[in-house]
Amino acid sequence: MVFESKLNILILIGLTILLGTTGSRLFKKFRIPQVIAFIIIGFFLGDSVLGIINKQMLSSFSFFNIFVLGITGFLIGGELKKEIFEKYGKQFINILLSEGLLAFVLVTLLVVLVGNLFFDNTSFIWALGLLLGSIASATAPAATTDVLWEYKTRGPLTTTILGIVGLDDGLGLVLFAFASSITFAIIGTSATAISSIFLHILYEIGGSVGIGVLGGLFLSLIVRKISDKYGIITFSLGIIVLILGISKLVECDILLSAMAAGVFTTNFLPRKSKEVFESTNELMPILYILFFTFFGAKLNLENLTLPIILIAIVYLIGRTLGKGLGANLGARISKAPKTVRKYLPWCLFSQAGVAIGLSILASQRFPGEIGDSIVVIITTTTFVVQIVGPLAMRIAITGAGEAGLNITEEDIIRESKAKDIMDTTIPLIYENVSLTEILKTFSETDNLYYPVVDKNKKLLGVITVDHIKNSLATRGLDSFLLAYDLMEPVIAKASPVLPMVEVKEILSRYNLEYLPVVSAKDEVLGFLERRQISRKISTKLIELQKQAEALG
Amino acid sequence: MELKDYIDKKLISFLKSKTKEKVLLELIDSICKNRELGNRKEIKEAIFHREKLMSTGIGLGIGVPHVRIKDIKDLIVAVGISKQSITDYETIDDIPVKIVVMIVAGEGQHKSYIKFLSLIVSKLKNHGVREKSIKATNEKEIYGILSS
Repeated sequence: MVFESKLNILILIGLTILLGTTGSRLFKKFRIPQVIAFIIIGFFLGDSVLGIINKQMLSSFSFFNIFVLGITGFLIGGELKKEIFEKYGKQFINILLSEGLLAFVLVTLLVVLVGNLFFDNTSFIWALGLLLGSIASATAPAATTDVLWEYKTRGPLTTTILGIVGLDDGLGLVLFAFASSITFAIIGTSATAISSIFLHILYEIGGSVGIGVLGGLFLSLIVRKISDKYGIITFSLGIIVLILGISKLVECDILLSAMAAGVFTTNFLPRKSKEVFESTNELMPILYILFFTFFGAKLNLENLTLPIILIAIVYLIGRTLGKGLGANLGARISKAPKTVRKYLPWCLFSQAGVAIGLSILASQRFPGEIGDSIVVIITTTTFVVQIVGPLAMRIAITGAGEAGLNITEEDIIRESKAKDIMDTTIPLIYENVSLTEILKTFSETDNLYYPVVDKNKKLLGVITVDHIKNSLATRGLDSFLLAYDLMEPVIAKASPVLPMVEVKEILSRYNLEYLPVVSAKDEVLGFLERRQISRKISTKLIELQKQAEALG
Repeated sequence: MELKDYIDKKLISFLKSKTKEKVLLELIDSICKNRELGNRKEIKEAIFHREKLMSTGIGLGIGVPHVRIKDIKDLIVAVGISKQSITDYETIDDIPVKIVVMIVAGEGQHKSYIKFLSLIVSKLKNHGVREKSIKATNEKEIYGILSS
């Protein structure tokens, strides 16, 4: 069922964003990471099913994929502060080497083992095994970080994941170079080619880091002098895109370049760079919808043959086992916290841009059966791990207790309702209570505003400290003035389910310092005081910070 | 703030009624008629609700019924002198009420309302002022006593 697409690019983008975001909301109800929704919707829109997003359209979006990968790399780099390297550096290296190398070895061996059943050509089988093994070491940064951001994680597991996905691109390149050189050797290429490939990889890594550092320096020098958010985001984007363009022009690795820029910026301008990363991060939700939907659309099932399917399966088994066991081993060697040892193996399954990029590189370097098989296997397995990976990650980060620890004041407000923040212990002042008794209540509590209610606890008004101050002049009337005489009318009130965003909006619209929370029958359920809202949110943030610190 | 700024000669009267309820209604009518107010029902309900919460008979023969109403713009004060005494007013010292000062203020007039209440009560706590007011023979005389 393939339709010929007559949609223009704008309709396509609009449709993709709307369907992607609707799907992700639907999936969220089942606690499935949004990435999966985007990919599945993309798959249905792509050539394999509806054909709305076709190959031609996708190829015109290749620059967009580079852009998203670049921004992702930059943001990951931004997480890798000097202190993180100091604290986790050794741990990163141990885990990186063990998970990357074990995945490489296991995939190579399993592919060779299964390949022997279908193919006679030993050189071909080993070449396929080695190249697939090297590609297996890479982990997708975009899908991984999207899950971390979606679930607002914080803690040692999150830090380790970010460090690993950021660095194993480099390891992937080195292993790929190693595998390429052996492949060249076993399929009869000269020794010059092998050494030149090594040199090229050295150039690629060194060049990427160099471009990134220079770009990061340039960005830091400019941003240091800018204070407005709009200026920060435009300069940041401009420089990141330039870094990506230059990196591509001189055939360096775009992800490494962008990451190097992120690492440099976050360490060169520790405080100010926070705004750069926060502003850039705001773009990610929309970029990821398009990125992953297009990714899903790319999958083409036509080229799958039985041997390829079986090799793809063993690739998945080898990669999963290698990464899982390797991550656990590396974490044990480096004495990482228990949560990292237990859950990290479930967090490194995703593969995407880097793996696909390396498979395309393989198809260019080894045209013919080797190259074609690698592209099909990597594309198909990427689709599978992009579905399974985020799910496994969600379970792991939740199990590790890191989900929801990386939230800001805005997040708390966005996710809370009046009932979550309101003060339910506020003393109610009945309308017939005298000034003398009111003063007693005031002296025993630290509130500035008190709801006045009738005998059924129905809200009638509010008494403020200001009112009481005025009434103090009325000496001799203390037992004669009642709450009813002193209260001021209620300008606005909230229902317990009113989102805190709207509460804040009401407070500023009417310039109020408080908002009573009432039931449908107008009974007072709680009270929101502006200063107490801030205090409650700060307490919550400190609690979450402590929880994250306690994890390791 | 001075009492004379708020006391209106036209709203000073010698009360005809003898019971608390009727006295209150008489003063409400006087206010509504004089100020051409359309919310008599609201004022009446508020005044009687306040009395139900606690009588405004503050002792020494003084009653100070008072309320704040949403649509009222200025502080309105009505003074009623009873020659016969209102025995059912419920006061803290059981002395029958002879002077009733009704205050109707706007919702946002908290400050001036409390201030006026304080001023008038201190004024009436003076024995001479009370005696002169009760013995006064016309409204002008009462105005002169209270606003001096």
